[in-house]
Amino acid sequence: MNCQQIAELLPDYLQGTLAREQSTQIEQHAEHCASCAQDIVMWKKLEVLTDEQPSSDSRARFEAMMHAYSSPATTETKLESAPAPATVKPSWNFLEWLRSPLGAVAWSAALVIFGVVLGTRVGNHTTTDRSDEIASMHAEVASMRQLVALSMLQQTSASERLQGVSWSNREDHLDTQVQSALLHTLRYDGSVDVRLAALDALSRHAGQPQIRKGVVDALQEQQSPLVQVALIDQLTEWRDPDATQRLRQFEQTPNLNPAVKQRAEWAIAKLQETTQ
Amino acid sequence: MNSVPDEDVMLQVRNGEVQMLGVLFDRYQAPLFNFYSKMTKDRTVSEDLVQEVFLRILRYRQTFRPGTQFRTWMYQIARNTRLDQVRKVRPETPFVAEPIAPISLSDSAQRQQESMLLQHALMQLPEDKREILVLSRFQELKYEDIARLLGCEVGAVKVRVHRALQQLREIYLGLESAGRSQDPRRSPGDSVPPSRRVQ
Repeated sequence: MNCQQIAELLPDYLQGTLAREQSTQIEQHAEHCASCAQDIVMWKKLEVLTDEQPSSDSRARFEAMMHAYSSPATTETKLESAPAPATVKPSWNFLEWLRSPLGAVAWSAALVIFGVVLGTRVGNHTTTDRSDEIASMHAEVASMRQLVALSMLQQTSASERLQGVSWSNREDHLDTQVQSALLHTLRYDGSVDVRLAALDALSRHAGQPQIRKGVVDALQEQQSPLVQVALIDQLTEWRDPDATQRLRQFEQTPNLNPAVKQRAEWAIAKLQETTQ
Repeated sequence: MNSVPDEDVMLQVRNGEVQMLGVLFDRYQAPLFNFYSKMTKDRTVSEDLVQEVFLRILRYRQTFRPGTQFRTWMYQIARNTRLDQVRKVRPETPFVAEPIAPISLSDSAQRQQESMLLQHALMQLPEDKREILVLSRFQELKYEDIARLLGCEVGAVKVRVHRALQQLREIYLGLESAGRSQDPRRSPGDSVPPSRRVQ
């Protein structure tokens, strides 16, 4: 074979899809044709360019993108997915007002004044006064965060509600209003992602019995298998004394997703294992 | 979950189970990342492009038709994403040799050298040639897939792959001899034909 005939077969040879007989012909040709041999060598040499791994936060970015995308305000998913359970929207007029443009301006102005006053006062006081001031400032900021969290949990856009959940995570202690708002979100929010995020936020406060109770109660009403599984896992992790009984009840739910049922059985077994 | 064909997963995504896109992300983020990093030599840009591809898949999921191969469809989107990025970023930015992919300690010095030379040579290839070479050599795409992707005949793909390889070889040998004249201790590159079939 001459170089031209070889050239026609070479690409298939390189990808390894050529029949053995033709491959042998190419190899024989390459033994006395430097040009064709070099093509083959070049192709083979490329193997030193090994694969690299994308960085570890790549998956997290993807998740965030998915969260943002499942926001009902930005997608057409509403048309496709089953209608979301209706959310009960309490009418907090003060919060409504805070969200309006005028409210936002007033709030910013108040914050600036607060900052300036605080700054001058802290600057003028003695050390003990200062630590008091700082403590009270912390308290102010904490309550403000809770307010922001509460306000954002009421938004129509799922991504803003998600942000609301993450605001609630900034505090070590949840006040009761935020607690109940998060529990409400866990039960009734239209977006699976927001419900999952709420569960995640609540999971940090396992010490509080009313939160554990709220999470146990949420199980019965969940429709999404994803959230159901997350709830089951959470209960298993907490080793809640009520959990076994509630899981048994839950397992009897008609038309339960088989994977969820399996998970519930696993959880019951696991819980019994630890109590024995 | 791994056994479910890409196409079935994508159809689920199309039909509203958007969270299933995570399965495809796990399968293809690394190949796509490597496609882009070989095309751009820039990790950050490559990661951004991968995210953009999946966003587009989500956004245009309704255009995925049953009977289409997912991989080809995905690479189509990946190419377009890259083209848009190229248009956005530069009229014509020359390639600047910069920190090259992290090289693991176990690599021999020779391999490192080779890898660097090859990356430089690859970056000096015209964009379309680099692309066809990366697709056929690293992305495990058959010539038939590439033909579908580029909208041309399989024969034409093979010819273009061969030409790209030849041009790469010329650039590489040029770089290598330039390097050798600077550093006489360097051992000559492997120029013996392989005794066995490649791959």
